[in-house]
Amino acid sequence: MIGFLWVPLLVMIMLSVSENPSTLIPFEGVTLDHMRAALADRSLLVATFRSVQIATVAAGIATVLGVPASIAIVRHQLPFEGTYRTGLILPMIVPGIVFGVGMLLFVRTVVPGLDTGVFAVILTHSVYGLPFVVLIVTARLYGFDETLEESARDLGAGPLSVFREITLPIIAPAVGAGFLFAWIRSFEDFIRAFFVRGTTDLLTTSMYSMIEYGAAPKMNAISTIILLVVAVALAIAMNVGAVTDLVAGTETE
Amino acid sequence: MTKERSRTKLWRLLYTPRRNRWLTAGPAAVWLGLLLLAPLTYMVVVSFLTVSEETYQLVWSPTLAGYSSLFSADPIWTAPFVDALLISVFVAVVTTLLCLVTAFPVAYLLARREGLWVRVIFFLVLLPFFTMYLVRAYSWMLVFGKSGVLNTTLEALGLVDGPVGLFTFGLPAIIVGLTHAYFPYMLLSLYASLDGIDMDLVAVARDLGATRVAVVRDVLVPLTLPGMVSGGLFVFVPTLGAFVTPDILGAGKIQMIGNFIEGRILGAADLAAGSAAAMFIVVAIVLVFVVVIQVVDPEELGAV
Repeated sequence: MIGFLWVPLLVMIMLSVSENPSTLIPFEGVTLDHMRAALADRSLLVATFRSVQIATVAAGIATVLGVPASIAIVRHQLPFEGTYRTGLILPMIVPGIVFGVGMLLFVRTVVPGLDTGVFAVILTHSVYGLPFVVLIVTARLYGFDETLEESARDLGAGPLSVFREITLPIIAPAVGAGFLFAWIRSFEDFIRAFFVRGTTDLLTTSMYSMIEYGAAPKMNAISTIILLVVAVALAIAMNVGAVTDLVAGTETE
Repeated sequence: MTKERSRTKLWRLLYTPRRNRWLTAGPAAVWLGLLLLAPLTYMVVVSFLTVSEETYQLVWSPTLAGYSSLFSADPIWTAPFVDALLISVFVAVVTTLLCLVTAFPVAYLLARREGLWVRVIFFLVLLPFFTMYLVRAYSWMLVFGKSGVLNTTLEALGLVDGPVGLFTFGLPAIIVGLTHAYFPYMLLSLYASLDGIDMDLVAVARDLGATRVAVVRDVLVPLTLPGMVSGGLFVFVPTLGAFVTPDILGAGKIQMIGNFIEGRILGAADLAAGSAAAMFIVVAIVLVFVVVIQVVDPEELGAV
């Protein structure tokens, strides 16, 4: 099974450095030309930078809204708590094509002054990122000793200082992980962005155009570069934090 | 110090559990209402409208034209939408089963063993999982196809004469691509579920004379059913609405609902028919959830 997961990626990596970028046989030698061409593509770099900015703002919004919402779910008695929780998970469940088309109709014809473009993508991704923040932060909140907060309150701390001095430091790793997850989801999203981006190019939509118009060498190269970056980041994250627990945690609780 | 104290005082004054509740829960609720529920509700409305052929504006009078256009063919099953719907359901079911069957043994091993190589396998599973979806779908495009790596390699080795049909773009390629894309979701879901159960139960059942098959059937499957179901949902739901994978690996021959919707909305600018088609995905997903809730306690599904 692991082989099945890796075969196509290995093929892609080999093709990205192969003189003959369309097939492995006959093999004509190794080259870094495709990599160089991909990195020299200005519009691709601009699109990548734009994707990074969008992901950062969208994940920021998702975190700022998602952390208080998680606290509300875990610590407060909410009316319609089940509905609220489900609502917060919904952006993850609604298929991208449905959400993308819905947002397209919405920004095009309902909201005056709002049209497709970078801003619409940010709004869409900020909603898309919410479930990932909420799932990770609530899991952490359920796991920590509530009496710490109570003792702080008993000792006279106000709600804000309880949050700042006790709650926030304890949930900080989960908040960071939630932000990171929301960031990755935004950065790698194609389908939602595809509908609401207007004429703006993002990394994923540029890559899609490359696939459609057959720019295979460049696509192989940029994909391999992304894979390498993810590999390094993941190796660091797995050694620093309990990534597996967090990921497994997202799926079930 | 005094500043701190007066601020605390102010908070005491303003603070009530009720206010606190709305301050924490409110913003996200408003955001969801404005940017998720409102667009989806609007989409339902649009599915009952038509688009003017002259101005491309929505015509605000309720009609079922959007829906009936989906089925306007004689006989009805030759309509492109019906075709796309059936193919989507078929692909989603097959992909979900394939993921379940292939992920279960891996998840079981990961849950039972510990040590360095378990971490290595986790790394190897998680890396594709964190890699861009688009990249993973694309990587299969290099493997499949008439001049893809599979066919050219087989030909170069002299094993086959011409391109093998199974390895060209089409339904098998789409199913393989989607299985590859959503396998990690199933694996992590099953792992979380298997990791929580007491493995002594397996040992006890074996000691009492249960065969391996019986252990899987009577112990492991019932205990991990919630994990299987939530994993199944994580595979089935996105597969049903897939767009990129069938687009890239179907080579225009195969249309799933996602491709049909995209064609209506962006290709034909028929917002009403596109919205109506999207409603079928929504309804299908709601139906699946209703069935699932009959089988498994929703609390056990956690996130779902």
